[in-house]
Amino acid sequence: MDYKKFDDETLIRLIAGSQSDALGELYDRYSRLVFGMARNALGDQGLAEEITQDVFMRIWNKASTYQAVQGKVVSWIAGIARNRAIDVFRHQKSLLDGNSLSLEELPLFDPPDSLNVEKEIESKLKERRVQQALFQLPKEQRDALALAYFRGYTHEEAAEALGQPLGTVKTRIRLGMQKLREILEDEKTSA
Amino acid sequence: MLPTNHVMDLIPGYALDCLNEEEKQQVAEHLSQCSSCQKELDSYQRIVDQLHEAVPPAEPPPELKHKILLGVQLKRTPEKADEAKPAWQRFWTRLQSGAPVWAYASFALVVILAASNIWMMQRVNRLETTSQAEFRVVSLTGTDKAPNSTGLLVMGHDGNMGTLVVDSLPTLDETQQYQLWLIKDGQRTSGGVFSVSKDGYGALAISAPQPLKEFAAFGITIEPAGGSPGPTGDKVMGGKL
Repeated sequence: MDYKKFDDETLIRLIAGSQSDALGELYDRYSRLVFGMARNALGDQGLAEEITQDVFMRIWNKASTYQAVQGKVVSWIAGIARNRAIDVFRHQKSLLDGNSLSLEELPLFDPPDSLNVEKEIESKLKERRVQQALFQLPKEQRDALALAYFRGYTHEEAAEALGQPLGTVKTRIRLGMQKLREILEDEKTSA
Repeated sequence: MLPTNHVMDLIPGYALDCLNEEEKQQVAEHLSQCSSCQKELDSYQRIVDQLHEAVPPAEPPPELKHKILLGVQLKRTPEKADEAKPAWQRFWTRLQSGAPVWAYASFALVVILAASNIWMMQRVNRLETTSQAEFRVVSLTGTDKAPNSTGLLVMGHDGNMGTLVVDSLPTLDETQQYQLWLIKDGQRTSGGVFSVSKDGYGALAISAPQPLKEFAAFGITIEPAGGSPGPTGDKVMGGKL
Protein backbone atom coordinates (compact mmCIF):
# COMPACT_ATOMS: atom_id res chain seq x y z
CA MET A 1 0.00 0.00 0.00
CA ASP A 2 1.26 3.43 -0.97
CA TYR A 3 0.73 5.62 2.09
CA LYS A 4 1.97 8.67 0.18
CA LYS A 5 -1.44 8.95 -1.42
CA PHE A 6 -3.33 9.37 1.83
CA ASP A 7 -4.12 12.71 3.35
CA ASP A 8 -2.87 13.60 6.82
CA GLU A 9 -6.17 12.85 8.55
CA THR A 10 -6.31 9.37 7.10
CA LEU A 11 -2.74 8.74 8.22
CA ILE A 12 -3.66 9.82 11.75
CA ARG A 13 -6.60 7.43 11.78
CA LEU A 14 -4.34 4.63 10.60
CA ILE A 15 -1.80 5.50 13.27
CA ALA A 16 -4.60 5.35 15.84
CA GLY A 17 -5.14 1.84 14.48
CA SER A 18 -1.50 0.97 15.19
CA GLN A 19 -0.27 1.14 11.61
CA SER A 20 3.40 1.98 12.03
CA ASP A 21 3.89 2.44 8.27
CA ALA A 22 1.45 5.33 8.48
CA LEU A 23 3.61 6.87 11.20
CA GLY A 24 6.60 6.42 8.92
CA GLU A 25 4.84 8.35 6.18
CA LEU A 26 3.84 11.11 8.58
CA TYR A 27 7.47 11.28 9.71
CA ASP A 28 8.59 11.71 6.11
CA ARG A 29 6.20 14.64 5.74
CA TYR A 30 6.82 16.50 8.97
CA SER A 31 10.12 15.49 10.53
CA ARG A 32 11.87 18.54 9.06
CA LEU A 33 9.28 20.82 10.64
CA VAL A 34 9.54 19.12 14.05
CA PHE A 35 13.32 18.89 14.00
CA GLY A 36 13.57 22.46 12.72
CA MET A 37 11.26 23.72 15.48
CA ALA A 38 13.30 21.93 18.12
CA ARG A 39 16.70 22.95 16.80
CA ASN A 40 15.64 26.56 16.39
CA ALA A 41 14.34 26.69 19.95
CA LEU A 42 17.23 24.87 21.63
CA GLY A 43 20.16 25.50 19.29
CA ASP A 44 21.36 21.98 20.04
CA GLN A 45 21.37 19.06 17.59
CA GLY A 46 21.26 16.32 20.25
CA LEU A 47 18.35 17.83 22.13
CA ALA A 48 16.54 18.45 18.86
CA GLU A 49 16.85 14.74 18.02
CA GLU A 50 15.47 13.74 21.40
CA ILE A 51 12.56 16.12 21.05
CA THR A 52 11.78 14.87 17.55
CA GLN A 53 11.77 11.29 18.78
CA ASP A 54 9.56 12.25 21.67
CA VAL A 55 7.10 14.14 19.48
CA PHE A 56 6.57 11.24 17.09
CA MET A 57 6.12 8.83 20.00
CA ARG A 58 3.48 11.19 21.35
CA ILE A 59 1.78 11.24 17.97
CA TRP A 60 1.80 7.44 18.04
CA ASN A 61 0.28 7.34 21.51
CA LYS A 62 -2.17 10.22 21.11
CA ALA A 63 -3.37 9.82 17.51
CA SER A 64 -6.82 8.81 18.69
CA THR A 65 -7.19 12.15 20.49
CA TYR A 66 -6.79 14.22 17.32
CA GLN A 67 -10.00 15.84 16.14
CA ALA A 68 -10.28 17.52 12.75
CA VAL A 69 -12.57 20.26 14.12
CA GLN A 70 -9.66 21.57 16.20
CA GLY A 71 -7.51 22.25 13.14
CA LYS A 72 -5.23 20.69 10.58
CA VAL A 73 -2.98 17.77 11.41
CA VAL A 74 0.12 19.86 10.70
CA SER A 75 -1.01 22.47 13.24
CA TRP A 76 -1.62 19.72 15.79
CA ILE A 77 1.85 18.29 15.21
CA ALA A 78 3.45 21.75 15.32
CA GLY A 79 1.64 22.37 18.63
CA ILE A 80 3.01 19.16 20.13
CA ALA A 81 6.51 20.00 18.87
CA ARG A 82 6.33 23.57 20.15
CA ASN A 83 5.12 22.52 23.61
CA ARG A 84 7.77 19.84 23.91
CA ALA A 85 10.55 22.18 22.76
CA ILE A 86 9.41 24.80 25.27
CA ASP A 87 9.36 22.23 28.10
CA VAL A 88 12.88 21.07 27.27
CA PHE A 89 14.12 24.64 26.85
CA ARG A 90 12.74 25.60 30.27
CA HIS A 91 14.40 22.57 31.83
CA GLN A 92 17.73 23.39 30.17
CA LYS A 93 17.42 27.02 31.22
CA SER A 94 16.89 25.99 34.84
CA LEU A 95 20.06 23.89 34.66
CA LEU A 96 22.00 26.90 33.33
CA ASP A 97 20.41 29.37 35.75
CA GLY A 98 22.12 32.75 35.65
CA ASN A 99 23.36 32.51 32.09
CA SER A 100 21.54 34.88 29.82
CA LEU A 101 21.33 34.43 26.10
CA SER A 102 23.17 36.68 23.74
CA LEU A 103 21.27 38.17 20.82
CA GLU A 104 23.15 35.86 18.44
CA GLU A 105 21.35 32.93 20.04
CA LEU A 106 17.83 34.20 19.42
CA PRO A 107 15.52 31.82 17.61
CA LEU A 108 14.53 33.08 14.21
CA PHE A 109 11.69 32.75 11.78
CA ASP A 110 12.67 31.52 8.34
CA PRO A 111 13.01 34.46 5.93
CA PRO A 112 11.05 34.23 2.66
CA ASP A 113 14.16 34.54 0.53
CA SER A 114 16.18 31.89 2.37
CA LEU A 115 18.03 29.13 0.53
CA ASN A 116 15.65 26.64 2.13
CA VAL A 117 12.94 27.78 -0.25
CA GLU A 118 12.60 25.66 -3.35
CA LYS A 119 11.30 26.71 -6.75
CA GLU A 120 8.54 29.29 -6.84
CA ILE A 121 5.69 26.94 -7.60
CA GLU A 122 2.21 27.85 -6.45
CA SER A 123 2.21 25.65 -3.38
CA LYS A 124 5.51 27.11 -2.18
CA LEU A 125 4.23 30.64 -2.71
CA LYS A 126 1.26 29.75 -0.52
CA GLU A 127 3.54 28.33 2.18
CA ARG A 128 5.66 31.46 2.15
CA ARG A 129 2.78 33.85 2.80
CA VAL A 130 3.27 33.55 6.56
CA GLN A 131 6.98 34.15 6.15
CA GLN A 132 6.31 37.15 3.94
CA ALA A 133 3.86 38.52 6.49
CA LEU A 134 6.35 38.08 9.35
CA PHE A 135 9.08 39.84 7.41
CA GLN A 136 6.84 42.84 6.87
CA LEU A 137 7.07 43.40 10.62
CA PRO A 138 9.87 45.48 12.14
CA LYS A 139 12.73 43.26 13.31
CA GLU A 140 12.07 44.18 16.95
CA GLN A 141 8.51 42.88 16.77
CA ARG A 142 9.59 39.72 14.97
CA ASP A 143 12.33 38.97 17.52
CA ALA A 144 9.91 39.36 20.40
CA LEU A 145 7.37 37.09 18.68
CA ALA A 146 10.08 34.49 17.97
CA LEU A 147 11.05 34.35 21.66
CA ALA A 148 7.43 33.87 22.68
CA TYR A 149 6.66 31.33 19.97
CA PHE A 150 9.78 29.16 19.97
CA ARG A 151 10.78 29.35 23.61
CA GLY A 152 7.50 30.07 25.34
CA TYR A 153 8.87 33.25 26.92
CA THR A 154 6.44 35.39 28.85
CA HIS A 155 6.50 39.14 28.30
CA GLU A 156 8.74 39.50 31.34
CA GLU A 157 11.21 36.84 30.17
CA ALA A 158 11.32 38.25 26.65
CA ALA A 159 11.99 41.75 28.04
CA GLU A 160 14.86 40.40 30.11
CA ALA A 161 16.32 38.43 27.18
CA LEU A 162 16.11 41.41 24.85
CA GLY A 163 17.24 43.91 27.45
CA GLN A 164 14.14 46.02 26.83
CA PRO A 165 11.47 47.53 29.12
CA LEU A 166 8.50 45.26 29.83
CA GLY A 167 5.98 47.73 28.39
CA THR A 168 7.96 47.98 25.16
CA VAL A 169 8.03 44.22 24.66
CA LYS A 170 4.32 43.86 25.47
CA THR A 171 3.54 46.49 22.87
CA ARG A 172 5.82 44.89 20.27
CA ILE A 173 4.17 41.50 20.68
CA ARG A 174 0.69 42.95 20.59
CA LEU A 175 1.35 45.13 17.56
CA GLY A 176 3.19 42.32 15.79
CA MET A 177 0.28 39.94 16.23
CA GLN A 178 -2.22 42.62 15.17
CA LYS A 179 -0.23 43.34 12.03
CA LEU A 180 0.08 39.64 11.21
CA ARG A 181 -3.64 39.19 11.60
CA GLU A 182 -4.31 42.19 9.39
CA ILE A 183 -2.06 40.87 6.61
CA LEU A 184 -3.08 37.22 6.75
CA GLU A 185 -6.81 37.69 7.26
CA ASP A 186 -6.89 40.33 4.51
CA GLU A 187 -5.15 37.92 2.14
CA LYS A 188 -7.67 35.25 3.00
CA THR A 189 -10.69 37.45 2.32
CA SER A 190 -9.29 38.83 -0.92
CA ALA A 191 -8.23 35.38 -2.24
CA MET B 1 -25.10 42.77 31.68
CA LEU B 2 -21.99 43.25 29.53
CA PRO B 3 -18.60 42.53 31.08
CA THR B 4 -16.89 45.82 31.83
CA ASN B 5 -13.22 44.87 31.73
CA HIS B 6 -12.52 43.86 28.15
CA VAL B 7 -9.08 42.34 27.78
CA MET B 8 -8.47 43.08 24.10
CA ASP B 9 -4.86 44.16 24.66
CA LEU B 10 -4.03 40.88 26.38
CA ILE B 11 -5.65 38.57 23.87
CA PRO B 12 -2.78 38.38 21.34
CA GLY B 13 -0.45 37.43 24.20
CA TYR B 14 -2.97 34.89 25.47
CA ALA B 15 -3.14 33.23 22.07
CA LEU B 16 0.67 33.13 21.98
CA ASP B 17 0.72 31.91 25.61
CA CYS B 18 3.14 34.56 26.79
CA LEU B 19 1.12 36.12 29.60
CA ASN B 20 2.01 35.72 33.25
CA GLU B 21 -0.27 33.62 35.48
CA GLU B 22 -2.27 36.56 36.77
CA GLU B 23 -2.95 37.92 33.30
CA LYS B 24 -3.87 34.43 32.02
CA GLN B 25 -6.42 34.00 34.75
CA GLN B 26 -7.85 37.45 34.14
CA VAL B 27 -8.33 36.67 30.45
CA ALA B 28 -9.72 33.18 31.07
CA GLU B 29 -12.33 34.50 33.49
CA HIS B 30 -13.32 37.29 31.11
CA LEU B 31 -13.62 34.95 28.13
CA SER B 32 -16.10 32.78 29.96
CA GLN B 33 -18.56 35.68 29.77
CA CYS B 34 -17.60 37.63 26.69
CA SER B 35 -18.26 36.21 23.26
CA SER B 36 -16.72 39.17 21.40
CA CYS B 37 -13.39 38.67 23.16
CA GLN B 38 -13.66 34.94 22.48
CA LYS B 39 -14.03 35.76 18.76
CA GLU B 40 -10.94 37.96 19.00
CA LEU B 41 -9.06 35.08 20.58
CA ASP B 42 -10.21 32.69 17.85
CA SER B 43 -8.85 35.04 15.18
CA TYR B 44 -5.46 35.31 16.93
CA GLN B 45 -5.35 31.58 17.55
CA ARG B 46 -5.67 31.06 13.79
CA ILE B 47 -2.56 33.21 13.37
CA VAL B 48 -0.58 31.26 15.96
CA ASP B 49 -1.66 28.01 14.29
CA GLN B 50 -0.02 29.19 11.08
CA LEU B 51 3.32 30.32 12.49
CA HIS B 52 4.77 26.85 11.98
CA GLU B 53 4.91 27.71 8.27
CA ALA B 54 7.76 30.07 9.10
CA VAL B 55 9.80 27.58 11.10
CA PRO B 56 13.19 27.05 9.47
CA PRO B 57 13.05 23.39 8.41
CA ALA B 58 16.03 21.22 9.23
CA GLU B 59 16.92 17.71 8.13
CA PRO B 60 17.18 15.25 11.04
CA PRO B 61 19.84 12.53 10.91
CA PRO B 62 18.73 9.63 8.67
CA GLU B 63 18.87 7.02 11.46
CA LEU B 64 16.30 8.89 13.57
CA LYS B 65 13.34 7.50 11.63
CA HIS B 66 14.48 3.94 12.22
CA LYS B 67 14.94 4.66 15.95
CA ILE B 68 11.41 5.99 16.21
CA LEU B 69 9.78 3.10 14.38
CA LEU B 70 11.80 0.61 16.38
CA GLY B 71 10.72 2.37 19.56
CA VAL B 72 7.10 1.99 18.49
CA GLN B 73 7.54 -1.75 17.97
CA LEU B 74 9.35 -2.25 21.28
CA LYS B 75 6.77 -0.20 23.14
CA ARG B 76 3.93 -2.36 21.89
CA THR B 77 5.35 -5.79 22.72
CA PRO B 78 5.98 -5.72 26.51
CA GLU B 79 2.66 -4.03 27.28
CA LYS B 80 0.63 -6.50 25.27
CA ALA B 81 2.49 -9.43 26.87
CA ASP B 82 1.81 -7.99 30.32
CA GLU B 83 -1.86 -7.30 29.63
CA ALA B 84 -2.36 -10.92 28.61
CA LYS B 85 -1.39 -12.23 32.06
CA PRO B 86 -4.06 -12.77 34.71
CA ALA B 87 -4.13 -10.21 37.54
CA TRP B 88 -2.69 -12.57 40.15
CA GLN B 89 0.35 -13.23 37.94
CA ARG B 90 1.02 -9.51 37.37
CA PHE B 91 0.77 -8.95 41.13
CA TRP B 92 3.14 -11.82 41.86
CA THR B 93 5.70 -10.50 39.35
CA ARG B 94 5.66 -7.06 40.96
CA LEU B 95 5.95 -8.61 44.40
CA GLN B 96 9.01 -10.61 43.38
CA SER B 97 10.68 -7.46 42.11
CA GLY B 98 11.49 -6.18 45.56
CA ALA B 99 9.05 -6.84 48.41
CA PRO B 100 10.49 -7.65 51.85
CA VAL B 101 10.25 -11.16 53.30
CA TRP B 102 7.29 -10.42 55.49
CA ALA B 103 5.27 -9.48 52.40
CA TYR B 104 5.56 -13.05 51.11
CA ALA B 105 4.10 -14.46 54.28
CA SER B 106 1.31 -11.90 54.23
CA PHE B 107 0.64 -12.61 50.61
CA ALA B 108 0.37 -16.34 51.27
CA LEU B 109 -2.17 -15.65 53.99
CA VAL B 110 -4.21 -13.38 51.75
CA VAL B 111 -4.21 -16.00 48.99
CA ILE B 112 -5.45 -18.70 51.35
CA LEU B 113 -8.15 -16.49 52.89
CA ALA B 114 -9.27 -14.96 49.60
CA ALA B 115 -8.89 -17.96 47.25
CA SER B 116 -12.42 -17.80 45.94
CA ASN B 117 -12.23 -14.02 45.33
CA ILE B 118 -9.01 -14.39 43.32
CA TRP B 119 -10.63 -17.07 41.18
CA MET B 120 -13.50 -14.67 40.40
CA MET B 121 -11.01 -11.83 39.67
CA GLN B 122 -9.20 -14.00 37.12
CA ARG B 123 -12.43 -14.71 35.31
CA VAL B 124 -13.26 -11.00 35.13
CA ASN B 125 -9.74 -10.08 34.00
CA ARG B 126 -9.85 -12.64 31.21
CA LEU B 127 -12.99 -10.93 29.91
CA GLU B 128 -11.34 -7.48 30.21
CA THR B 129 -8.20 -8.70 28.40
CA THR B 130 -10.33 -10.05 25.55
CA SER B 131 -12.08 -6.72 25.16
CA GLN B 132 -8.76 -4.84 25.24
CA ALA B 133 -7.34 -6.97 22.43
CA GLU B 134 -4.90 -5.45 20.03
CA PHE B 135 -6.17 -3.45 17.07
CA ARG B 136 -7.42 -5.64 14.24
CA VAL B 137 -6.44 -5.09 10.65
CA VAL B 138 -8.17 -6.78 7.74
CA SER B 139 -6.59 -6.86 4.31
CA LEU B 140 -8.97 -6.49 1.40
CA THR B 141 -8.13 -7.81 -2.04
CA GLY B 142 -9.61 -7.02 -5.40
CA THR B 143 -11.96 -9.29 -7.31
CA ASP B 144 -11.66 -9.73 -11.06
CA LYS B 145 -13.60 -6.46 -11.39
CA ALA B 146 -10.71 -4.60 -9.75
CA PRO B 147 -7.78 -7.02 -9.68
CA ASN B 148 -5.11 -4.43 -8.88
CA SER B 149 -6.88 -2.85 -5.95
CA THR B 150 -5.72 -3.21 -2.37
CA GLY B 151 -7.24 -2.15 0.92
CA LEU B 152 -6.90 -2.15 4.67
CA LEU B 153 -9.63 -2.00 7.24
CA VAL B 154 -8.27 -0.91 10.61
CA MET B 155 -10.48 -1.28 13.66
CA GLY B 156 -10.25 1.28 16.40
CA HIS B 157 -9.92 0.82 20.15
CA ASP B 158 -13.57 0.68 21.01
CA GLY B 159 -14.36 -1.67 18.14
CA ASN B 160 -17.27 0.35 16.75
CA MET B 161 -15.13 2.71 14.74
CA GLY B 162 -12.54 2.03 12.12
CA THR B 163 -10.91 3.27 9.00
CA LEU B 164 -10.96 1.85 5.51
CA VAL B 165 -8.24 2.84 3.07
CA VAL B 166 -8.12 1.60 -0.50
CA ASP B 167 -5.77 2.03 -3.38
CA SER B 168 -5.95 1.47 -7.14
CA LEU B 169 -9.73 1.19 -7.39
CA PRO B 170 -11.13 2.40 -10.70
CA THR B 171 -12.70 5.86 -10.59
CA LEU B 172 -16.47 5.91 -11.07
CA ASP B 173 -18.69 8.43 -12.79
CA GLU B 174 -20.64 10.84 -10.63
CA THR B 175 -23.77 8.65 -10.54
CA GLN B 176 -21.93 5.88 -8.68
CA GLN B 177 -19.99 5.33 -5.48
CA TYR B 178 -18.33 2.47 -3.69
CA GLN B 179 -20.12 1.04 -0.68
CA LEU B 180 -18.59 -0.92 2.19
CA TRP B 181 -20.55 -3.89 3.54
CA LEU B 182 -20.10 -5.45 6.95
CA ILE B 183 -21.05 -9.12 6.75
CA LYS B 184 -22.29 -11.33 9.56
CA ASP B 185 -24.41 -14.48 9.38
CA GLY B 186 -25.20 -13.78 5.75
CA GLN B 187 -26.54 -10.31 6.59
CA ARG B 188 -24.94 -7.21 5.07
CA THR B 189 -24.87 -3.90 6.91
CA SER B 190 -23.67 -0.74 5.21
CA GLY B 191 -20.41 0.66 6.56
CA GLY B 192 -20.63 3.78 4.43
CA VAL B 193 -20.04 5.06 0.92
CA PHE B 194 -16.99 6.66 -0.57
CA SER B 195 -15.42 7.78 -3.80
CA VAL B 196 -11.84 7.50 -4.95
CA SER B 197 -9.44 10.03 -6.39
CA LYS B 198 -8.21 9.89 -9.96
CA ASP B 199 -5.31 7.83 -8.66
CA GLY B 200 -7.71 5.29 -7.26
CA TYR B 201 -7.23 5.84 -3.54
CA GLY B 202 -9.89 6.57 -1.01
CA ALA B 203 -10.56 6.53 2.69
CA LEU B 204 -13.66 6.06 4.78
CA ALA B 205 -14.22 6.62 8.48
CA ILE B 206 -16.45 3.68 9.43
CA SER B 207 -19.03 3.88 12.13
CA ALA B 208 -20.78 0.58 12.79
CA PRO B 209 -23.84 -0.29 14.88
CA GLN B 210 -21.85 -3.00 16.66
CA PRO B 211 -18.13 -3.72 17.14
CA LEU B 212 -16.43 -4.28 13.79
CA LYS B 213 -14.66 -7.37 15.06
CA GLU B 214 -18.05 -9.07 15.42
CA PHE B 215 -18.42 -9.15 11.64
CA ALA B 216 -17.01 -12.13 9.80
CA ALA B 217 -16.19 -10.46 6.51
CA PHE B 218 -16.18 -7.20 4.57
CA GLY B 219 -16.96 -6.39 0.97
CA ILE B 220 -17.06 -3.39 -1.34
CA THR B 221 -19.51 -3.06 -4.23
CA ILE B 222 -20.36 -0.43 -6.82
CA GLU B 223 -23.67 1.26 -6.02
CA PRO B 224 -25.68 4.30 -7.04
CA ALA B 225 -24.29 7.50 -5.53
CA GLY B 226 -25.42 7.77 -1.94
CA GLY B 227 -25.55 4.02 -1.47
CA SER B 228 -28.17 1.28 -1.44
CA PRO B 229 -30.00 -0.56 1.32
CA GLY B 230 -28.33 -3.74 0.11
CA PRO B 231 -25.63 -4.71 -2.40
CA THR B 232 -26.83 -4.42 -5.98
CA GLY B 233 -23.71 -3.88 -8.05
CA ASP B 234 -20.46 -5.65 -8.81
CA LYS B 235 -18.29 -6.68 -5.90
CA VAL B 236 -14.82 -5.17 -6.30
CA MET B 237 -13.05 -6.05 -3.06
CA GLY B 238 -13.42 -8.39 -0.12
CA GLY B 239 -11.72 -9.63 2.99
CA LYS B 240 -12.34 -11.84 6.00
CA LEU B 241 -11.64 -11.25 9.64
